[in-house]
Amino acid sequence: MIDLIIFLSLLALGYGAGTWAEKRHYRSIAERENAAINLPVVTLKSVDIPEHKIRSAKLVYGSAVISVDYFKRILASLRNVFGGKVKSYESLLDRARREALLRMKEMAGNATVIVNVRIETSAIGKQSKRKNIGCLEAMAYGTALTVEE
Amino acid sequence: MKFTARQPGINVNVSPTHPLKDFAILAGGLLAIVVGVYLALGLAVDLIVPRLSMDLEKKLAGAFVGRLVETEEVDTTTRSLQGLVDRLQDRCAPLPYIITVHVTESDAVNAAALPGGHMVVFTGLLAEMTSENELAFVLAHELGHYANRDHLRGLGRALVLMTASTVLLGADNTVNSMIGQGMVLTELSFSRKQESQADEFALETLFCHYGHVADATSFFNKIPEDGDPGRFGHYFASHPENRRRISHLEDLAQERGYPTGNPLPLPAELTTKTNAH
Repeated sequence: MIDLIIFLSLLALGYGAGTWAEKRHYRSIAERENAAINLPVVTLKSVDIPEHKIRSAKLVYGSAVISVDYFKRILASLRNVFGGKVKSYESLLDRARREALLRMKEMAGNATVIVNVRIETSAIGKQSKRKNIGCLEAMAYGTALTVEE
Repeated sequence: MKFTARQPGINVNVSPTHPLKDFAILAGGLLAIVVGVYLALGLAVDLIVPRLSMDLEKKLAGAFVGRLVETEEVDTTTRSLQGLVDRLQDRCAPLPYIITVHVTESDAVNAAALPGGHMVVFTGLLAEMTSENELAFVLAHELGHYANRDHLRGLGRALVLMTASTVLLGADNTVNSMIGQGMVLTELSFSRKQESQADEFALETLFCHYGHVADATSFFNKIPEDGDPGRFGHYFASHPENRRRISHLEDLAQERGYPTGNPLPLPAELTTKTNAH
């Protein structure tokens, strides 16, 4: 009985706190994406800019680690039984990748364009005994070019 | 035409389904499956139990009665109860079981039928007894559970639940440990119908053995209605409809013309035990 009460409170806590944090995060992401909208981020390996015009080219990267909450984990483990889209993890990945891109843009500062951008994703704490810590990291990196006017 | 950077407006990477709706569907579906499997396997238990061989039952019994057999020291109380059970079994309740009586120190006013013919009688029960007939009824009631093999059904459903949870959640899950903690000797639960049948069996045995059914229901009457269910266990806790059982027995005795006679006093070994308490 106690076990059940603990389980349900964790579930409610996970849902409440998780939803709140997610909404806040999305608000912040949307604001910062709007602010940085004029810095193009492309996957092209090269751009058609004469070399003498490029003032600097440097590696920029950003990474973000987002944790799963208790509710999402239970929802995903239920999904593991039946199969299908693990919808509860979709928003985590989405947040981690967009946050990583934003941090990369922040590192780029006043660059004109970031080329050859890649995004890597990895799980953290996957193998720590039976208790999954359940975090995921997204890392975005690319080459920031600053072009003379 | 000049390019203006713009946000896409919708998020294609996150499904719009509300997580609570998702949770309700999945949890509900899983629950329905578990309940379905539990019911189906419960029915399977009812099919298997009558076909379970005595040998196999003895093997299964090991897991439940290992402790009892180890701490076995046959004292006069146990011997006296064993004698009474043997006498009942001998003439009036021929069962394919070799019943072994174990007396366990406990306040619980209770007795339990465990697999493999191990009958556990708690000292709390003995302390409440005033006549041999009364005691014989309780023992015969347990014999009735053996006759109908209710003791296996009682365990069987718990085992089925453990099996179902192991299949779905893997071994060493919370459901199993909860059942493991909850499995107490006194908590073998029987349905109303199973109790009724055991009562009827006990009444017939009592009549066959003594030629009358005096004190058949006196035990029920003695227990206060607001008694702590924990103490009165299997005879009373699971049966808020005690009165129904008493009147059922009385009706049955009347219908079959079982007379009431003079109850025999308790055997001396048991009385001293009672007084010592």
